[in-house]
Amino acid sequence: MNGAAAMAMPAQPAPRESWLFGWIATVDHKRIGILYLFTSVVFFVIGGIQALLIRLQLWSPNSHFLSPDAYNQMFTMHGTTMIFLVVMPTLIGLANYFVPLMIGARDMAFPRLNAMSYWMLPCGGLLLYFSYWTGGAPAVGWFAYAPLSESAFSSSPGVDYWIISLLILGTGSIAASINLIATVLCMRAPGMSMRKLPLFVWMNFINSFLIIFALPALNAAIIMLLIDRTLSANFFLPFHGGSALLWQHFFWSFGHPEVYIMALPAFGMISEMIPVFSRKPIFGYPFVAASTVAIALLSFGVWAHHMFTSGLGHTVDLFFAAASMLIAVPTGVKIFNWSATMWGGAVRLTTPMLFAIAFLIQFTIGGLSGITFATVPIDWATTDTYYVVAHFHYVLFGGSLFGVLGAVYYWFPKMSGRMLSERLGKLQFWTMLIGFNLTFFVQHYLGLMGMPRRVYTYPDFPAWAVLNRLSTVGAFVMAFSVAVLLWNILASMRGGKLAGDNPWQAWTLEWATTSPPPAENFTALPAIRSRRPLWDLAHPESPDQPLDTAHPEKIPEKNQVSMLTFIASEGFFFLMLITAFIYYNFQFHSGPNAGSALNPALTSVYTVLLLGSSLTFWFSERYLHRGNHHRFRLWLGLTILLGLVFIIGQGREYAHLLREGVTMNRNLFATTFFTLTGFHGLHVCVGLIGLAVLLGLGLKGQFQTGRIEAVRSLGLYWHFVDAVWIFVFTTVYLVGPHL
Amino acid sequence: MNTTQFLLTAWDWNPLVLGAFAIALLAYGLFFFYGAASRLAQEVGGLAATPVSPGKPGALALGWTVCLLTLVSPLDVLADNYLFSAHMLQHLLLLLIVPPLLIWSLPAWSEKKARKNQTLWRRVGHGLTHPLPAWVAGVGAMWLWHAPALCNAASSSQFVHAVQVFTLLALGALFWWPICGPQRNRRLPVLAGVLYLFSACVGCTLLGILITFSPVQVCSIYLHPSDPLGILPLIRNQWNMTPDIDQKIGGLLMWVPACAVYLSVIMGMLLRWFAIGDEVEAGRAVHSLNGSSHEKIS
Repeated sequence: MNGAAAMAMPAQPAPRESWLFGWIATVDHKRIGILYLFTSVVFFVIGGIQALLIRLQLWSPNSHFLSPDAYNQMFTMHGTTMIFLVVMPTLIGLANYFVPLMIGARDMAFPRLNAMSYWMLPCGGLLLYFSYWTGGAPAVGWFAYAPLSESAFSSSPGVDYWIISLLILGTGSIAASINLIATVLCMRAPGMSMRKLPLFVWMNFINSFLIIFALPALNAAIIMLLIDRTLSANFFLPFHGGSALLWQHFFWSFGHPEVYIMALPAFGMISEMIPVFSRKPIFGYPFVAASTVAIALLSFGVWAHHMFTSGLGHTVDLFFAAASMLIAVPTGVKIFNWSATMWGGAVRLTTPMLFAIAFLIQFTIGGLSGITFATVPIDWATTDTYYVVAHFHYVLFGGSLFGVLGAVYYWFPKMSGRMLSERLGKLQFWTMLIGFNLTFFVQHYLGLMGMPRRVYTYPDFPAWAVLNRLSTVGAFVMAFSVAVLLWNILASMRGGKLAGDNPWQAWTLEWATTSPPPAENFTALPAIRSRRPLWDLAHPESPDQPLDTAHPEKIPEKNQVSMLTFIASEGFFFLMLITAFIYYNFQFHSGPNAGSALNPALTSVYTVLLLGSSLTFWFSERYLHRGNHHRFRLWLGLTILLGLVFIIGQGREYAHLLREGVTMNRNLFATTFFTLTGFHGLHVCVGLIGLAVLLGLGLKGQFQTGRIEAVRSLGLYWHFVDAVWIFVFTTVYLVGPHL
Repeated sequence: MNTTQFLLTAWDWNPLVLGAFAIALLAYGLFFFYGAASRLAQEVGGLAATPVSPGKPGALALGWTVCLLTLVSPLDVLADNYLFSAHMLQHLLLLLIVPPLLIWSLPAWSEKKARKNQTLWRRVGHGLTHPLPAWVAGVGAMWLWHAPALCNAASSSQFVHAVQVFTLLALGALFWWPICGPQRNRRLPVLAGVLYLFSACVGCTLLGILITFSPVQVCSIYLHPSDPLGILPLIRNQWNMTPDIDQKIGGLLMWVPACAVYLSVIMGMLLRWFAIGDEVEAGRAVHSLNGSSHEKIS
């Protein structure tokens, strides 16, 4: 890190700070971006070593190089590491570094939140790896299918560490996404209208919405699993009335969007590199941008294609097969647009461009094998074989990671001020290309021959050993290639050719400043009239057609934007919990149920009080706007009082239920009831703490001189908490007894 | 009776349902002439009215044709008596296909005297077509008519069915007003429109999921149809539509194709927004300066 840090560090404002403290305490988006990238490299090496060990185990049939259990831990950790600790942080890191630069901003919308998002990453990573010292890492696959992941079958705390780690990493990703959305919406330089956003920024913007909507599904699922494991509930235990299938639904309703979360930013990188190295503007910007939205929306509707073999029934399978094939359309549109951008262009085969072209081909192969899975009968035959392994590595490694590698060569000069060696770069590209295809192409054949994945060894069938050995050799070629990359980075940081501001003659704003950029990013911005401001600057005689010059856009207020996106994300979390409540209470259970245990009449009184607190808050805000601080504090105090009464009412109901013996693990009604209302109560408490802080600040006269937006944002949260209760109350108390 | 015979004979010219259709037609006519009159006034007043899009007459014809076919064709017979999935198809056509086509085909009108002399009528109109109530109307119509009691009532009573048809068209019109309504200055900005449609899609997806995976029949009336035409054996044995499959298809129709409708509109909006030329932009800006003062800009 020392080398990377020293070279890539932007100008240091306070020289007396030690460099270590400077990096730990930094809130500069560029340094945080580099921290993200550095952390991912560390975990990439760890995850890569795990992959090599897996490949060594599969070198020969009936091998005992790794024990079955060690092998299970290895592929679980490999998958979890690569997805949550490598690909996602790399993408977020690059977005962190380049989104503000590309829209001409000084920093992210919330620099401190940004630092928090980053530091949750090493925290989550360390927790995950700490599980090795607690009796073994999780050995249940990255999808942690229940009931295998339940404590009856995985009794060591590995899965618990996995859950907590994912919760932390997921929260960090959501925070980073909220920050990115607020940055793109509120921090754009004058002239940078939404229609002029560079495609990398646009795709990260859309991707952030994917993250804030998809991750709550995972969070809800793993919290339910954690409740099962630690409070002996039965959400996912079929022999106690739970449903293992619901885990799959919840997990894949996160898991499928996750595939696109890992792909969309890479699409964005490709969309920046291909035009620059073809010396042509992107072909069909509207189609590339709009198809991104189509992919994002469709990705939420197709998760069940991961479950064709779980017995959903013919009708459901058919609809999901059709919907899954539909995703190929917007993705295909993109592939055509990228190809058309290169067509007739003056293509320069630099290392980043080579990676981009390889991305196109390999991602298309992965996409095509993906379409075969949408065909239900083929899925039945190939699911859980190495055909699947080959498919998703073509998408995520041959696709996303090749895109990222290209982006590293493309943007390294901006981050460090020096070029990476092209000679070593080409060596790395070709070894990576050969190693990757050698490793994973043969796995298509292994899969079609029936070799199951997630099994630690295989019998000595004809050709299996040869193909597996080819695959292992390929993996080591890739390892060599990664070593070349790391060497290239270290060597170029010391002795690489100086890059200058714009070594690739690119057209987006990040190239309009020095390399590396100063702490404030830009000393002066060029005029932004079209999608390629630096082209206009360099070619005043033939500028692009200007866009959105008639009227400037209204910039929304960043506190409100971030609170609203946070609320949207939280809303999805509650949606999952409410769905779980309805799902489990549809079935008959012995013991207490919503009809016998609850008292809707009494709770409706508390409901009115809670809803009334929204009204009192509205009054308090009105008085603040009018400058009547006395009345503001009075109504705010009343709001807190009403919230407290509601919480006390809930507490009384809990106490009553517990006295009756209705505890968390009594039956699924009790579990879902306590989970849903408990999480709502938690949100009320958080809101109350926030309101109390407001009241305290109000008493000290903090809002006399402005800062009213803080009150408004917290108010939005409070209204949200009340609105959620309307749904919870309707589901649990009004509909619940009749389910 | 075989399938061909059924498709040829089972046309239902029910007076009540046709009455609902007629009222909708009348309401549409009123709006149409209001819009056309406002255009005329603009032209007389020297203001250039926006040109009529060539697709509009087509949308108008298609909208009313689909609407009529939905109500009198064998689909209606199936929806009334036999199949939940047919009911769902009818429901979706009346809520998601017919209203946007018809709303979009209305002549554009703008309100110049926005603030002054606001009639009660106009204020109610503005209140209803505000995005929030409009959204609630569209998504609420879906959820409300699938409450078991209402769903059964609509299938057993012709009067309730007529009410259902009319409310679906009316609430659908409200829902689509902020997206493709004739008052351009009251349409949602594009990115807000995307969120509006996406969240509606989430709402209908949830209901679709609920219906698809529900272990009980949502509309119990379809479990044992009264079978006035004697085609139950045809449906059960030749089409292989058991009540279970029927309900699954119904739920999935609401889930997947309904979302495809929202998605297509989103795509259309985005492509127009991205691809629109700067001249058009400039023209619109001038227009909006002359027109209302409260246009929101995304």
